Amino acid sequence: MEFKQGFSPLAPDAVHAEAQRRRDEGWRYVQMLAVNRDESADVIYSYMREGDLENLVVEAVPRDGALDSISDVFLEAFVCENEIHDLFGIAFPGLAIDFKGNFYRLSTEKPMTIISPEQLARREKEAKAKAAAEAKKAKAADAAPEADMEAKLAAMDPEKAAKVRAAMEAKAAKAAAEANAQMEEKLAGMDPEKAAKVRAAMEAKRAKAAKEAE
Amino acid sequence: MGKATVIPFGPQHPVLPEPLHLDLVVEDETVVDCIPQIGFVHRGLEKLVETRDYNQFIYVAERICGICAMGHSLGYAETVEDLMGIEVPRRAQYLRVIWHELSRVHSHLLWLGLAADAFGFESMFMHCWRLRERVLDIFEKTTGGRVILSVVSVGGVVRDMDDATLKWICEVLDGIKGEYEQIMRTLLTDTSIKNRTVGVGAISKEEAISLSMVGPFARASAISYDVRMLGRGAYGDLSDFQPITDAQGDCYARVKVRCLEVLQSIEIIRELASKVPEGDIAVKVKGSPAAGAQASNVLEQPRGECYYYARGNGSKFLDRMRMRTPTSQNLAGMTVALKGCDLADVNMIILTIDPCISCTER
Repeated sequence: MEFKQGFSPLAPDAVHAEAQRRRDEGWRYVQMLAVNRDESADVIYSYMREGDLENLVVEAVPRDGALDSISDVFLEAFVCENEIHDLFGIAFPGLAIDFKGNFYRLSTEKPMTIISPEQLARREKEAKAKAAAEAKKAKAADAAPEADMEAKLAAMDPEKAAKVRAAMEAKAAKAAAEANAQMEEKLAGMDPEKAAKVRAAMEAKRAKAAKEAE
Repeated sequence: MGKATVIPFGPQHPVLPEPLHLDLVVEDETVVDCIPQIGFVHRGLEKLVETRDYNQFIYVAERICGICAMGHSLGYAETVEDLMGIEVPRRAQYLRVIWHELSRVHSHLLWLGLAADAFGFESMFMHCWRLRERVLDIFEKTTGGRVILSVVSVGGVVRDMDDATLKWICEVLDGIKGEYEQIMRTLLTDTSIKNRTVGVGAISKEEAISLSMVGPFARASAISYDVRMLGRGAYGDLSDFQPITDAQGDCYARVKVRCLEVLQSIEIIRELASKVPEGDIAVKVKGSPAAGAQASNVLEQPRGECYYYARGNGSKFLDRMRMRTPTSQNLAGMTVALKGCDLADVNMIILTIDPCISCTER
C-alpha cells in the first residue's frame, strides 16, 4: 500500500451526494477543514481508501454561508462541522449533533476569520514589493522599444535618421523639463531641509545615470 | 425501564486527565444515550501560524500536546517539507522514527498506568510510570528534553545520535521489555481486570468501518489499518510491519492491542537502530512555500491517525495549518461504545479509548 495525495474541486451543492458516493465506494472519512480567504472560506473534505488520500476543495464559500451537513452519512463529521461553524461562521444545516455555536468556549466570534494586524501589515508590504517588481518590469519593457528604435535608425537614410533622432531628443528634453518643473513645484511646498535632501538625491541619481550612459 | 435521567460526567472527574464533558442519558443503571462535549481548553494555536514563520511554528506545533509532542512536530515538518519539495536525508528519517516510536512507548506506558490506576491497581500504575521514566531518560540523554524534545526541524533533525548512544538505547529498551512483559502478563491474565473489560463497550468491525475509527481503538475492532504500513520515511525500510489487531472490539481488546504495540515499537527501534545510514542529519532549507501550494499528510500518533494540512502564500508565513487529531475522529465511536453500557463501566470505556482532548482542541 502506497501513500498518495491529491486535491480536486468540489461543487458546493455536491457535498452531500459526494459523501454518500464515497461511503458507498468504501472510502473512509478523514476530516473537514476551512481556510479563510478575504470575504469567504475554502472548505476541504478529505477521504481515504487504501493509502489514497483525496482532498476535495469547495472554493469560496461565502462568509455566513451554508453547506449541507454530511454527519448523517459520516456521524464523526459532527466534530469538524461544529468546529468550522464556531471558528469560521459557516452553517451546516442537518447536523447530527448540533451545538448551535457552543462547541468551543470562545472570547471572540468566528476568530479564524479575523485578519490580524501583523497579517495585514505583511500583506501590504508584499503588495508594495509586488508593485515595485512590476514597475521595474514595465520600465525594462519601456527600454526595449528604445533599443528597437536605434536598430531602425541604423537601417535608415542617415539624414532622415538624424532628423528623427533630433526630434526624439527634443521630445525627451521636453518631458524631462516638464518632470523637473513638476518636481520643483512639489519641492517648493516642502520643508526646505527635506527639499534640499530630495534635490541632492535627485542630482546624485542624475549623475549616476550620466556616468552609466558614458 | 425506569425514567430517563441525564447525568453529567466531567469535565472534572477522577478518571479524566483532561477536560471532557459527557451528558449521559441513563435509564436505571444503563446508558441509553451520550452527548460528548469538548471546548474547555481551546487555545487557537492554528491561528498562530499567521504570526510565526514556518520554521518558528514547529515550536508551537510541538506544544499542542505534551504526550504527542514528538508526533506533532514530525507531522508538521513532513507536511511543510512536502509543500516545499524538500528531500530529508535518510539518517534524519531514521532518527525521527526512532524518537517517534520511543514517544509511542512512553505514551502507551502512561496510558497503561492510568488504566491500572482506574482498575484499582495502584502499584501497577507506579510500575508503568517507573518504566516510562526510563524512556524519558533516553529522551533527556539524546535530546536534552524529557517531554518537549525540540529535535525535529523542517529539513531534518537538529541532533544526531552516535552508534554508542543507539546501542545504549537498545540496552535500556531490553531492560524495559523484560519488566514490561511481567506487567503485561498480569494485566492480560488477571481475573478482576478481565471482569471489568471483557465484553464491555464492544464495537463491531462494521461499526468501526462505518464510524471511520482510527488507531488502537479501531485496530481492536479488527480494522487492519495503521499509517505506518504505508511505509513512509524509515518505516519503508522495516523488514516487516503488520498492524496489531484484535477481533473482539471490547475494552479488553483495546488494552491488549496497546500492550502489544509497546513491544512492536521496541522491535522497530531495535531494527532501525541497527541500520541507521551514514550521512547528514538535515538539509538547508531556502525559500518559501509557493502561493496557493497545499499539502496534506497523515501520521500514526500513539492514539491513531493524525491528519495535517498546510497552505502557503508565497511568504515565509503559511496561510493555514490544520491538524485533525485521532481523538476528534474517535469521539463518534466513543458515543456508540457508551450506548447500552452500565453506568459503572463508563470510565473504563473512556479510558480504553485514550482520548487526548488537548490535541483535539488545539
